[in-house]
Amino acid sequence: MRHLQFLLFSFLLLFTVRIRAQEKEKFTVSGYVKEDATGEYSIGATVYIKELIKGTSTNQYGFYSITVPKGNYHLVVSYIGFDDIVQEIKLDKDLRVNVSIKLNSIVTDEVEIDAQKANKNVSSTQMGVNKLEMEEIKKLPAFLGEVDILKTIQLLPGVKSSGEGNSGFYVRGGGPDQNLILLDEAVVYNASHLFGFFSVFNGDAVKNLNLIKGGMPAQYGGRLSSVLDISMKEGNSKSYHAEGGIGVISSRLTLQGPFIKKDTGSFIVSGRRTYIDILTRPLIKSTSPFKGSGYYFYDLNTKINYRLSDKDRLFLSGYFGRDVFTYNNKDNGFKVEIPWGNATTSLRWNHLFNDKLFMNTSAIFSDYNFSFGATQSGFEFKLFSGIRDWNMKCDFGYFPSIRHEVKFGANYTYHTFIPSNASAKSGDVEFDLGKIVKQYAHEAAIYISDDFDLTEKIRLNGGLRYSYFIQVGPFDRYIKDLQGNTIDTITYRKGKKVKNYGGLEPRFAIRYAINKKSSFKASYTQNYQYVHLASLSAVSLPTDIWVPCSELVKPQFGTQYAVGYFRNFKEDTYESSVELYYKTMKNQVEYKEGALPEDNVNDNADNQFTFGNGRSYGAEFFLKKRKGKFNGWVGYTLSWTTRVFPEINQGKEFYAKYDRRHDASLVLAYEITKKLSLSTIFVYGTGNAITLPVARYLYEGSLVNLYGERNSFRLAPYHRMDIAATLQGKKHKKYESSWSFAVFNVYNRKNPYFIYFQNEGDIKKGNLVIKAKQVSLFPILPSVTWNFKF
Amino acid sequence: MKSKRIFFAYCLLLIAFSFLSSCEKDITVVLPRPEPTVVVEGKIEQGQYPYVVVSRSQAYFDPVDSSVIANTIIFNAVVIVSDGTTSDTMKLTIDNEFFPPIIYRAENMVGEVGKTYHLTVYAEGKTLTASTTIPTPVSLDSIWFKTQPPSTELGFIWAHLSDPVGLGNNYRWFTKRFGKDVRFVAPIGSTFEDRFVDGKSFDFAYNRGAEFNSSAEDDNNEERGYFKVGDTVVVKFCAIDRAGFEFYRSLEIEVSNNGNPFAAPTSIPSNINGGLGFWGGYGAVYDTVIAQ
Repeated sequence: MRHLQFLLFSFLLLFTVRIRAQEKEKFTVSGYVKEDATGEYSIGATVYIKELIKGTSTNQYGFYSITVPKGNYHLVVSYIGFDDIVQEIKLDKDLRVNVSIKLNSIVTDEVEIDAQKANKNVSSTQMGVNKLEMEEIKKLPAFLGEVDILKTIQLLPGVKSSGEGNSGFYVRGGGPDQNLILLDEAVVYNASHLFGFFSVFNGDAVKNLNLIKGGMPAQYGGRLSSVLDISMKEGNSKSYHAEGGIGVISSRLTLQGPFIKKDTGSFIVSGRRTYIDILTRPLIKSTSPFKGSGYYFYDLNTKINYRLSDKDRLFLSGYFGRDVFTYNNKDNGFKVEIPWGNATTSLRWNHLFNDKLFMNTSAIFSDYNFSFGATQSGFEFKLFSGIRDWNMKCDFGYFPSIRHEVKFGANYTYHTFIPSNASAKSGDVEFDLGKIVKQYAHEAAIYISDDFDLTEKIRLNGGLRYSYFIQVGPFDRYIKDLQGNTIDTITYRKGKKVKNYGGLEPRFAIRYAINKKSSFKASYTQNYQYVHLASLSAVSLPTDIWVPCSELVKPQFGTQYAVGYFRNFKEDTYESSVELYYKTMKNQVEYKEGALPEDNVNDNADNQFTFGNGRSYGAEFFLKKRKGKFNGWVGYTLSWTTRVFPEINQGKEFYAKYDRRHDASLVLAYEITKKLSLSTIFVYGTGNAITLPVARYLYEGSLVNLYGERNSFRLAPYHRMDIAATLQGKKHKKYESSWSFAVFNVYNRKNPYFIYFQNEGDIKKGNLVIKAKQVSLFPILPSVTWNFKF
Repeated sequence: MKSKRIFFAYCLLLIAFSFLSSCEKDITVVLPRPEPTVVVEGKIEQGQYPYVVVSRSQAYFDPVDSSVIANTIIFNAVVIVSDGTTSDTMKLTIDNEFFPPIIYRAENMVGEVGKTYHLTVYAEGKTLTASTTIPTPVSLDSIWFKTQPPSTELGFIWAHLSDPVGLGNNYRWFTKRFGKDVRFVAPIGSTFEDRFVDGKSFDFAYNRGAEFNSSAEDDNNEERGYFKVGDTVVVKFCAIDRAGFEFYRSLEIEVSNNGNPFAAPTSIPSNINGGLGFWGGYGAVYDTVIAQ
């Protein structure tokens, strides 16, 4: 507490020290940066005053604001992939300068010798950040032809995939629930389709994505490990276009164009559907056990935006996705159905109070639910789970001078959780599985931060966030005896407080500019997380449920320290960095040993949990070539992630299942000619940690396993190489097309998905042999996609 | 009752294997060799002599030929059962219902409903103890055989049960076919609790269980899991205590999960102090049905 008070005091002190008498009159140049061809607003474009070598970058809505002393300047706008724009301005009053940038006319290895302002990765205080361009991502080999954002971010150091068949990812040793995934400001709870083969993000609808692994700024909160902030395209406000692709297992179509008035409003609608089930259906014999089985998913992204005036803009975005999996075995009357889906909607209003104060207010609705139903010969069982959020947030950007960028705002969410509920019946008899257990909670936060120049060489980002969480009734808490029978129920009526939590989350980052090419950064952050994903199995499945804090479940609390050295080479052609981090995570949630999915029925889900702490530390190395015909990156991470839970592994420290000692990735793209480009990916990772049996015994004539220490064994290392080639078709006046060929897992490496043991032979005959078998998921998989654009 | 938890494991297993391509290969795994633990498998039923199988655990990849299996049995254990007043030392016997056919059985004490029995085992220099009670048996209202369409010959055994009002009834189901089964066999999911069916009167069915790794013809062809018209089936329906329900449930899940990557390793809660396994009291009821 005293430590915190000291931090608060010194933070406020820094603020007051900054106030000085104005020497010269200052004016503001502000405006929007957009792409000339489409009217899309550019996120993160660098805007600076050449003479002062000072600037800023456009925010999520393409807005920038620079306040400097009166004078004549050159305003430079630059954005990777686009030609720089230089505009002369006479700043003797507040100016509105909107800039339209054009795509690079020539791609060359020659680099202009003019970049006086150091590249953002060196100059900003933000560390642990990766910004990825959709154009970069689309060139990379895509799994089965589907461009996947989540798979691409796993190629960055510090970000690990949870394995094939799983879209979850781990950032710096944090669990898959510790990543805040935002799609146009709406929280996405489950970013992958069923079984995790594909993410819910349609590459054609995405404009920009930012991944923050460390030094999380104060405007984000609610998750410990990372923020993946995804912005959708607004749609071409100048003319109508259609684009899409037809692939081996799925197809997509995007329509966009002006809305109501050209250059004022636009819309974009993007859809995608897989159809492997339709293609294989005629091939399945009527006698096959799979007849009537199938799997498909579809996604729909929609967005409309309209500029009401110079100061106001409205955006309405929506996402709707559904997975349907059916398994039908008529022979023994066994049927399984797993419907699963996400839906989000956000309504946002941008308002410019004046040239220095920008505001965005959003109203968001987010819904995630799945159900798992099984039927056999008149016996039916259904398990379902879901979350519904109503969310309002208000974010302000205040640019008082070139040396300060202040952000402040507030956020409020009303959660409804249905962690795990079930129903069952046999014929006509309905089994009593208790009432549907729902949990209601309010979550809120306020924050303020300032990014400012302390001295010429030192830039500081100081932020403070205060978050608050309260669970309210109606709610029943079941008190169980050792037998698992309910001996008491505590009932909370509607609106009554069950439990509340809250706390301060200081966020600090400092950047010391050694010179224009290199800098040293350090950051310290504290985060609270009030929602948790409880996972029963080693693989992500319907048994994973989202649960809120309660009297039993305390908020997760994370602290991260990070330091890094950032260096650019050859006039920003190469970007490189080394980052070291150390994280502690308290109040981590796991199921008790021996817990089974149906234990959740007619009980509070959190009665099955046990709690402990986690720790992770590591070093990330990154080198990227940004420009030229030949570009790409290489990343390597060395890290450790461990956990200590009093009730698991007898309280001894054990490796987290995703502890990956070495993780390396290499991404290369080469533009051979204007029409033909090649790309390749190579990844390597230490195998996952698993628990294996070390002994066995006979019981009632069956062999039973005895397990060793938790996660004390490693699967074989994971590595594979993918290649892709894109061939541009002849460019017609109104229409262009291209072919993408990709090969996943070029050398057909059998990467371990899991291992199991099989008994072969007859125990009574005395020739029983136990064999270890490894199952791999994806062999070499070629794919072809035809893409078109009108 | 087709236990829902078994469904879950079954479903997940099926999903796993139907979805995966058969990219499978044999690999070599090096595992540590721990100290052997003593395993006690004991039952006491009303009106029957209690028996215990005492064995030791083996390292995972140890070869499993007949000499090794014989060696897992501990021959020189001292096994004593007591009801608080009298005690009896169990004798080493041969019984072909078991594999390996070597067990310890008491000759001077039979189980009685409601009584608590203490077990003491001296083996491998260790002392193991456990206690259990024989619950009051609960009868089934009726049992019958019903064919499973589209078959006219194969089907399941159905039963009607009225669960006594009041939580705490736990059951285990066994069947034995005259002339075909050597002993009573419990199918996977054989044990259930009354948490969701307390006080209710309902029908349920079970498929036919098989011995572990059975090589019998009807356990490996289309008859697997089914009873056939013409079978004479004895159903043994037992009342067991809570600890028994948790033990057998976890045991069956662990045995059936072998190979399922989607299930976490299940810990099996034993009631043997100093060892593994279970000493269980059974309140049994027998019924016979002829499949026709």
